[in-house]
Amino acid sequence: MTTRRGFLVGLASLGAAPRLGWADVGAPAWLTAGMKPDGAYVLHGLSAGGVSRFEIPLPARGHAAAAHPIRPEAVAFARRPGVFALVLDCFTGEVLSRLTPPEGRQFNGHGAFSADGRLLMTSEVVAEGSAGRIGLWDAESWRRIGEWDSGGIGPHDLKRLADGRIVVANGGIQTDPTDRTMLNLESMKPNLALLSAEGEILDLMELDEELHQNSIRHLALIDEDAGVAFAMQWQGDAADPAPLLGLWRPGEAPLLCEAAPEDLFAMKGYAGSVAAQGERIAISSPRGGAVMIFDRSGAPLATHRRADVCGLAALEEGFVASDGSGGLWRISAEAMEPIARHEVAWDNHLISAAA
Amino acid sequence: MRRVLAFLLLAGLPAPAFADVGAVIDRHILPAYEGFAAAAESLAAEAEKTCAPEALRPPFNAAWDAWMQAAHLHLGPSEEKGRALAILFWPDPKGLGAKAQRALLTGDAAALEPEAFAEQSVAARGLAGLERLIYPSVLPEEADSCPLIRATTRDLARMAEELVAGWEGPEGFAQNLLTAGEPGNARYLAQSEAVQALFTQLMAGVEFQADQRLGRPLGTKDRPRPERAEARASERSARNLILALKALREMAVTLDGTAARSAAAFDRAIEAAEALEDPTFAGVASPEERPKIEELQKLVRQIRRTALDEMPPTLGVTAGFNSQDGD
Repeated sequence: MTTRRGFLVGLASLGAAPRLGWADVGAPAWLTAGMKPDGAYVLHGLSAGGVSRFEIPLPARGHAAAAHPIRPEAVAFARRPGVFALVLDCFTGEVLSRLTPPEGRQFNGHGAFSADGRLLMTSEVVAEGSAGRIGLWDAESWRRIGEWDSGGIGPHDLKRLADGRIVVANGGIQTDPTDRTMLNLESMKPNLALLSAEGEILDLMELDEELHQNSIRHLALIDEDAGVAFAMQWQGDAADPAPLLGLWRPGEAPLLCEAAPEDLFAMKGYAGSVAAQGERIAISSPRGGAVMIFDRSGAPLATHRRADVCGLAALEEGFVASDGSGGLWRISAEAMEPIARHEVAWDNHLISAAA
Repeated sequence: MRRVLAFLLLAGLPAPAFADVGAVIDRHILPAYEGFAAAAESLAAEAEKTCAPEALRPPFNAAWDAWMQAAHLHLGPSEEKGRALAILFWPDPKGLGAKAQRALLTGDAAALEPEAFAEQSVAARGLAGLERLIYPSVLPEEADSCPLIRATTRDLARMAEELVAGWEGPEGFAQNLLTAGEPGNARYLAQSEAVQALFTQLMAGVEFQADQRLGRPLGTKDRPRPERAEARASERSARNLILALKALREMAVTLDGTAARSAAAFDRAIEAAEALEDPTFAGVASPEERPKIEELQKLVRQIRRTALDEMPPTLGVTAGFNSQDGD
């Protein structure tokens, strides 16, 4: 880091510092938050081979991050209910800006940039009642410039489709503004909302009534513009498990992916992350200590076991997974093998960095 | 096998100061699977001789007793091919087991051949399925249940053997735990992970007793659900709870010999369960008896809290960075 800082100072002294790109911070494949053995919270940039390209301190436990599509800048979101997000310069480790939601709004875990990198969109709730909002931030000045209705209660993850439209996972759960107490499990009604690039609600997908307690929380874009994979968390009877993965192409009915009968309880009704790669979709469960892989027809292909596993991202072939014990794993329908282990408890998500 | 493990330990295989992974394998896990294999074998042998329910009930109960020594171990071979689930499929709120068994009772006998039966639904096989065949149940009485009884007991014995084989020997799962953190171990990347894996089993096991074995029949005050108690027909509901708590206690004190407060918390819950004298938790629906079962559930939950407070610092483990977080 010292030499890089020196390099930066050198550039600055030339008076015409060129804009840096992700390559200048070691071209990390993913961003992920974590906790070190001494309890310090950090954000890491990881290479596809599992090597840490940088480590930046965080003031509190992170959840997800959003990577700027061009500049090596990351927005690190606090856990729900989030009162701040930090814009980090991944080259210097500096905090470029601290985003604070307007009075009565809370960050709710995730964010996404527009393709040109000029707009940051954040999942938010109105603190009282958990009505969903998408907060809009100018990604140059980091000023709040507006908000949209998310189309439901308790939005969590959101993803930008290739054509600029946005899919929001409205989890449906109303939470206490001061903690995570769930207030509406009997009446919750999650949905997937499709928004235009201007925030107009174009489509809402709701699950059948018998699945109304299946909170839709995380998303992954399926290759070849085939819609989104959505991961769910079942709030109904644990003894009567529900599908935890669905595939949705806007305008069509969702395809729900049932676990193999012998693995019905493997995930403990909880999917924490989802990733899609080619014909395969993976979901993870830290509670069950398991990763499941499905194909695009919804058929289960494999279940791999690993304690506290949660972060998932696509590799060129297969997936990478991270866990709370510091492990990074290469996962395919056939095998699960270790890539690396760090003395960092990896947090919930691996976020793809750089386009 | 046990001598081999003891030798590995004596040979100076490093272990965290107070966490005795080798002892848990040697004195808790392997004896539990070996005991279940022997009991399942006896049950299958008896079923070959007779399908009379009265004759099968004693070895059936002995097999279920033996399974309670290992039922909380959801790692390694028990998680492969859905074995643990197939050995004991409960809870089953939709009655999937009885439904699948009805089809097997009236369907093609070829499905009862060992290889085909192993591929049948996990809900239809195992102890809960056998209970429906040798105690009064929703299954039709007119059907000849003997072929299905024999298929089920043979299947149990086969899975029990596979569990023993899967744990023991140079390629056995025990070696994964014992060589945690060593080069070539692609399952546990650090020694602490093996300890963590066992501790997680312990905590999940205790949670299952409170949430499921007690929680399901308890239901809510307004709507108690005595019909949801486990193994009502064989009147094993409370017995299963007591045996499970005793097995979990043994695992806890073997893993951490200093966990005195946790052991005491187990003892309080076991004592309360033994004092209940309500084999099927029917008292959940009675105003006089229900508070005792609620109190028992509190005592079981207290075990988990105590153990989570007491054991992690000694063992060098955590409650789970992501699994306890949730988002």
